[in-house]
Amino acid sequence: MKSKNAFLSLRGQVIYWSAAILLVAAAFPFFWMVSTSFKPLREIFVSPPYFFPKDFTLANFDRLFEQTRFLIYFKNSLFVSSSAVVLTMTIASLGAYSLTRFKFYGREKIASLILFTYMFAPIMIVIPFYVLIRKIGIANTHFALIMAYTAFCLPFSLWLLRAFFQSIPMVLEEAALTDGAGRIRAVIYVILPLALPGIIATGIFTFILAWNDYIFVRILITSDELKTLSVGIADLYNATVIDWGMIMAGGMLITVPVLVFFVFIQRYLIAGWGTGTIKG
Amino acid sequence: MRLSPQKTGIILILPAVLLICSLLVYPVVYGIWLSFFKKHSFFPDQKFAGLANYLYLMRDPDFWMSVWYGTVYSVSTIVLQIVIGIIAALILNEAFRGRNFVRGVVLFPYMIPTVVAIILWKWLLNNQFGLVNYLLLAIGVVENPVSWMGKDHIMTSLIIISVWEFFPFVVLSVLARLQTIPLDLYEAAKVDGASAWSRFIHVTLPQLRNVLFVVILLRSIWMFTKFDTVWLLTQGGGAEKYIRTLPVYAYMRTFMYYQAGLGATLAVIMFGILIVSTMIYFRMFRREEEI
Repeated sequence: MKSKNAFLSLRGQVIYWSAAILLVAAAFPFFWMVSTSFKPLREIFVSPPYFFPKDFTLANFDRLFEQTRFLIYFKNSLFVSSSAVVLTMTIASLGAYSLTRFKFYGREKIASLILFTYMFAPIMIVIPFYVLIRKIGIANTHFALIMAYTAFCLPFSLWLLRAFFQSIPMVLEEAALTDGAGRIRAVIYVILPLALPGIIATGIFTFILAWNDYIFVRILITSDELKTLSVGIADLYNATVIDWGMIMAGGMLITVPVLVFFVFIQRYLIAGWGTGTIKG
Repeated sequence: MRLSPQKTGIILILPAVLLICSLLVYPVVYGIWLSFFKKHSFFPDQKFAGLANYLYLMRDPDFWMSVWYGTVYSVSTIVLQIVIGIIAALILNEAFRGRNFVRGVVLFPYMIPTVVAIILWKWLLNNQFGLVNYLLLAIGVVENPVSWMGKDHIMTSLIIISVWEFFPFVVLSVLARLQTIPLDLYEAAKVDGASAWSRFIHVTLPQLRNVLFVVILLRSIWMFTKFDTVWLLTQGGGAEKYIRTLPVYAYMRTFMYYQAGLGATLAVIMFGILIVSTMIYFRMFRREEEI
C-alpha cells in the first residue's frame, strides 16, 4: 500500500489533495477570523482582501475590553461552566460507580431512563423549564443555569462513565477489599486513579457543552451583568453597526479555551472512545 | 454502621436519578400539561383550553410552513453530513503524512461555540465585504454579489453552515469504527479481484452498518430539534421567515408572543414526531445488534 517512490502514485495524490481540501474547509474559516481580528479597520473592508494583516494591530481587542463587558461575560462563563462540571462529575461518578458495582432492584430501568433522557434536546425542555424556574423564583440567577447544565449533561456523562467503569476489572477492588481495605479506601486508591482519565475527558465534554450553550442563558438570564459569553457576543453582534474586527476578536477569545481542552481529549476521540457521546 | 450493597447502590445513584427526574422528565411532563392551557409566559394566569392549542396549530399556516422548513433543513443537512462525513472519514483512514494533525483540525468546527460559527460565517458570507462573494466575483461564477442572508439564499447558507459545523461528528464516529475493521477482510476481497468501489460496498459499508444506525438516529434527533444555529442566523437579516423551523417557531411563540401554552404545544408535537419516527426507524432498520 505504501509506495516509497519519490512520485506518489495516483491514489496517493488523490488522497493528499482530498486531505488538503478537507483541511482548508475545516480550518480556513478560523484562520479568517483570527486574521480579521488583528487587522486595522481599513484593511478589514479592503478589496481585494489581504490574507494576512499588513498593519498588525491589537486595537480590536482593546475596544472589546474597554467598550464592552466581555471580561465580565468571560468570568461568568468560566464560573458557570466550572461549577456545572464539578457538580455533574461528582453526581455522575457516584451514579456510574453504583450502576457498575452494585446489583439492586430497578438498576436496568434506571439505565434505560438515562439512555432515553440522553435523547432530549434543549428546545423540548426549555419552555416548561422556564415557566417552572419562574414559579420557583430563581430565574435570572447563575444557580438556575448551573442546575440546567448539570441536569442536561448528566445523562451522557453517566452513560460515558458507566462504559468507562465497566472497563475497570472488578478483580482489582475485590483484591483490595480482601486485603482488608474498606470500600471507600479501595475506591480512592484503586478505582479513582484508573478512572481519572475517563472522568477528566467526560468533564471536558461537559465543560465544552456548558461553555458553548446559548439557549439556556438566553432564556434564563435577563441581566446583562449575569450573561455568559455566547449570549453576550450574540447581543454585541445585534446591538449596533457591526464592528467586525471587534466581533472577530471576541469570537477568537471564546474559542481558545475550547480548543485548549480539545487538544487534551483529542486522543480519546480519535481512539474512538466516547464515540457518539457529545451532544449537539 | 454498615449498609447492605443494595442500599449503598441505591444511595449512590439517587442524586442522579432525582436530578434527571426533576429537571428533565418533570419539565417534559409539565410541558404536556401546559399544552392544554392558555398560559402567558410571564404572568401566572392560565386557563384550561382543552385541545384548543392543537386545533389552532392545525389551522395555522405558519405552523405548517415551519414543519416544511424544518423538514427541508433537517433532511438536507442530515444527508449531506452523512455523505461528506463518510467520505472524510475514509480519507482520514488512509495513511499519509500529517494525518493526525488533519484529523484533529477536522473536528474543530464541531467543538466551537455555535455563536462563533455563526458570526464567522456571517462575515465570510457578508454580501458587501465577505470573502466568499469576493472570490465568486473574482473567478466570474456570479456577476453580482450574492445576497447570502436574503430570502432566496438564506436556507442554502443555513444548510452550508450547519453541515460544516456538524459533519465532524460523523467523521469521528465512522473513523473510530473504520479503524477496527480487520484488514484481512480487504485482503480477501482484493484476492477475489474486487474493485475499490465494490470493496467499499461489500466490505466497508456492512461493517459500518451499526455505527451508522446510531449516528443517523442521533443526528436526526439533534438536527430536527436544532435551535441555536438556526435562531442565531435569523438575527438581523430580515429573511428570518424563510428559515423558521419548528424549534424557532416554538421559541417565538413563547418568548415573543408570550404564548407559553402554544409554545409548549409545539414542543410536545416535536416530541411526538420524534418518538413516532424513532419507532418506525427502529422497526425498519434494527436487527438483533446491540447499540
